[in-house]
Amino acid sequence: MRIMKKSLILSVMSAVAFAVPATAKISTGSNVADMTVVDSNGQTHNLSDFAGKKVVLEWTNDGCPFVKKHYKTGNMQKTQKLATAGDDTVWLSIISSAPGKQGYVSGEQANELTVSRDASPTAVVLDPSGTAARSFDAKTTPHMYIIDEAQTLVYQGAIDDNSSARSSTVEGAKNYVTAALDDLNAGKAVAVSETAPYGCSIKYK
Amino acid sequence: MIRFILLMTMWLVALPAFANQSIPVDTGKVEASLVSSHNVVPPGGKFHVALRTALDDHWHTYWRNSGDSGEPVFVDWKVPEGILVGDISWPLPRTLATGPIINYGFEGTPLFPVEFTLAETAEIGSVFIVEADFYYLVCKDVCIPEQGKASLPIKVGPAEADTRWQAEINAALAATPKQSGIKGTIKKTAETVIMGFTGASSLSTAQDVHFFPYDQGVLGHSAPQAVRMGAKGLEITTAADYIWDNPMAETLSGVLAFTENGQRVGHEVTLAIGQSIDLGFAAVKPQAVGGITLLTAIFGALIGGLILNLMPCVFPVISIKALSIAKSAHGERSAIKREAWLYTAGVVATFLLLTFALLALKAGGSEIGWGFQLQSPKVVGVLAVLLFVIGLNLLGTFEFGSSLQNTGAELTQKSGAAGSFFTGALAVVVATPCTAPMMAGAVGYALAAPAAVTLAVFMALAIGFALPFLLIAYIPGMISKLPKPGPWMVTFKEVLAFPMFAAAIWLVWVLSLQAGEAGVLYVLAAMLAAAFAIWCFKRKARPVKIIGVMSMLAALALSVSLYPKQVALSHEADAWSAARVSELQAEGRPVFVDFTAAWCVTCKVNEKVVLDQARTRKLFGDTNTAFLIADWTNKNDVIAAELAKYGRAGVPLYLVYNQDSVSPVILPQVLTYDVIREAIAGK
Repeated sequence: MRIMKKSLILSVMSAVAFAVPATAKISTGSNVADMTVVDSNGQTHNLSDFAGKKVVLEWTNDGCPFVKKHYKTGNMQKTQKLATAGDDTVWLSIISSAPGKQGYVSGEQANELTVSRDASPTAVVLDPSGTAARSFDAKTTPHMYIIDEAQTLVYQGAIDDNSSARSSTVEGAKNYVTAALDDLNAGKAVAVSETAPYGCSIKYK
Repeated sequence: MIRFILLMTMWLVALPAFANQSIPVDTGKVEASLVSSHNVVPPGGKFHVALRTALDDHWHTYWRNSGDSGEPVFVDWKVPEGILVGDISWPLPRTLATGPIINYGFEGTPLFPVEFTLAETAEIGSVFIVEADFYYLVCKDVCIPEQGKASLPIKVGPAEADTRWQAEINAALAATPKQSGIKGTIKKTAETVIMGFTGASSLSTAQDVHFFPYDQGVLGHSAPQAVRMGAKGLEITTAADYIWDNPMAETLSGVLAFTENGQRVGHEVTLAIGQSIDLGFAAVKPQAVGGITLLTAIFGALIGGLILNLMPCVFPVISIKALSIAKSAHGERSAIKREAWLYTAGVVATFLLLTFALLALKAGGSEIGWGFQLQSPKVVGVLAVLLFVIGLNLLGTFEFGSSLQNTGAELTQKSGAAGSFFTGALAVVVATPCTAPMMAGAVGYALAAPAAVTLAVFMALAIGFALPFLLIAYIPGMISKLPKPGPWMVTFKEVLAFPMFAAAIWLVWVLSLQAGEAGVLYVLAAMLAAAFAIWCFKRKARPVKIIGVMSMLAALALSVSLYPKQVALSHEADAWSAARVSELQAEGRPVFVDFTAAWCVTCKVNEKVVLDQARTRKLFGDTNTAFLIADWTNKNDVIAAELAKYGRAGVPLYLVYNQDSVSPVILPQVLTYDVIREAIAGK
């Protein structure tokens, strides 16, 4: 009986061994689950608070050469200003670097960065645990997401079509975020709704 | 600066004899230089120049597809007009993990060689410069973009190789993944991509397999790549990325990397999109199927065979045999041994016959599995009639020529031998519908294995099946443990008729599913004919006996004229198909797939005891789980292939695709409510 039990366990184990762990990417076009985040001023936001507005998520890390490229050339600031010009779009810059890792900042430092870089996000979200990043399966800095008024994910991927950290590559590149927002504002479906994100890896815990 | 000038001068002076390497450039974390395979190249000649990058420890640069983040190494070559510049021969990348992020790149000292072709018109004796502007992102936990410039003079004249660098460049070129005989396919189903690779014998022994796509967006770089080995190749299943929703080319390319004889190798493979190839999963190697080894399979089969004795359709036959042995117990011991061995021979012979039939069908390309016999309504019909006749016999309606309950005195040696042999054969025939849970793995393994292994496992099954009698015959105390023979045996025998009738009813029900109402009519008519034949045989008059023979033939004819009916299309809504699973998954619903067959006892028990219960239905309702049935009652190659995918050769098989799983969870063959609940919840 003991041997029988053992071989039974063996056969059950061999069946279980087929199971594979899961991944959690949100597919474009599906609804985004609500999420609560804290910004650099200690204020709490729910994603659902922004229902009725468009939300742009920008994963960032000020030490990352790719992020530097877009801020030094003014490209990210320009994209932010264009996006938030009307009152109908919210821009959240999210920092998911774990404590001790590159890009991890305090709320105060985050605010200083916003001022010194002349950036204009609606809020800078601090996500040192990486919870928000994981729920979006964010990979890189920058990694961009656009959520429409109905809280549907309508774009995810790169900021533009030139995936290099060299500054010379900003000019002439197609800005996917601006294009997607233009499509939405024109009442059209987003033409390019998913691209491969590029950049530094998010400095997860 | 002075040192630099000195170096420069030395290098220029020493040029012809100097190893052909540019002055190394330290860009920070990397020391980069250009190296050439040749110092002197003839007009029209080919040579290689490589960017050689010595990385600081634990720092890495990126492959042509950098993976989740990063940026590929970039080189801009500047050469005089007329010189042809080729593409970088990329080294074999490795996966580099940073938290949940997976990158493709290099550590150590990777070389990036490029082939150059000199113009035919190049002037002998002249010197030209190969110059490179290079740029790379070098990362550890943080990334630094670094760049530099290097140049190298090459002389035109009779070819003169640089032995030092040529060797290193040739080694790099040899290790560069190239097109080989490997063919590949890629297909997206639901959220997964399945890639098949075939065309090289090394594939079946490959270890640490990983596919690196050239393009972004094809597959989730950080998703695990599940590898399954077939006799003709291997299959990789992983998460799909966004590219599949966009217009695509007809092929995708990348590098299939694996370890072969301790050596890491890579092959460039072009994948045909939307296709699949035969990877020989029907003949999977022993160690590949769910960790079942030959020994485990043989042991499982032995135990499974033993358990078969307790199945409701077998038990009556066995009991009668046991009793007849008990009766002989007062006779000589050698006679008991002889009977036990004859019985074993009957069992083994029948199993051999079945195994050869299976092997023949397999060789013929049929997808078959355990219980395949019952997929034919003809076999089910004959079995139903046979069980009915055995039942009548047990009730004492008639006696076989070498009737089991006869006292040995009337029997000739020969008919006794035939009787034991026949009992063994009969026991196997009626046992086949009953798949003991333990046996499924072993039989699945056996059917997927080479013929010799199939034979070994089935023989173990046969021995296990016959084992009780061998034990009775050989273990001294056993016979005395059997109940004393007496008049009670007649009653016992008659009682055993009823499980036989019950089994016959079950088979008739199976037939009603397989062959419809007409099938039921045929088999019942066949039973009537058989009963009439038996009555005829009991008459003394010869003409009546002839009528009996004709009636028996009619019963047989009726049974074998059964045909499977077409599956009703109205059932399609819940019917399983790979496409349906994908659709439902896309809707975000968990999916439960029940691979079942009307003739599968374990399946019916699970359906009755677990699946058809109110709380299970409620669970499915609450979690919005879709319930799909893959009905294998009749022969179906698609379902057989799906079963084989999970190392099974028969039903039941239960799969749960929960919302975000790449591959389904395989549930145990004996279901419980909790097992299903946890699988759906993704625990």
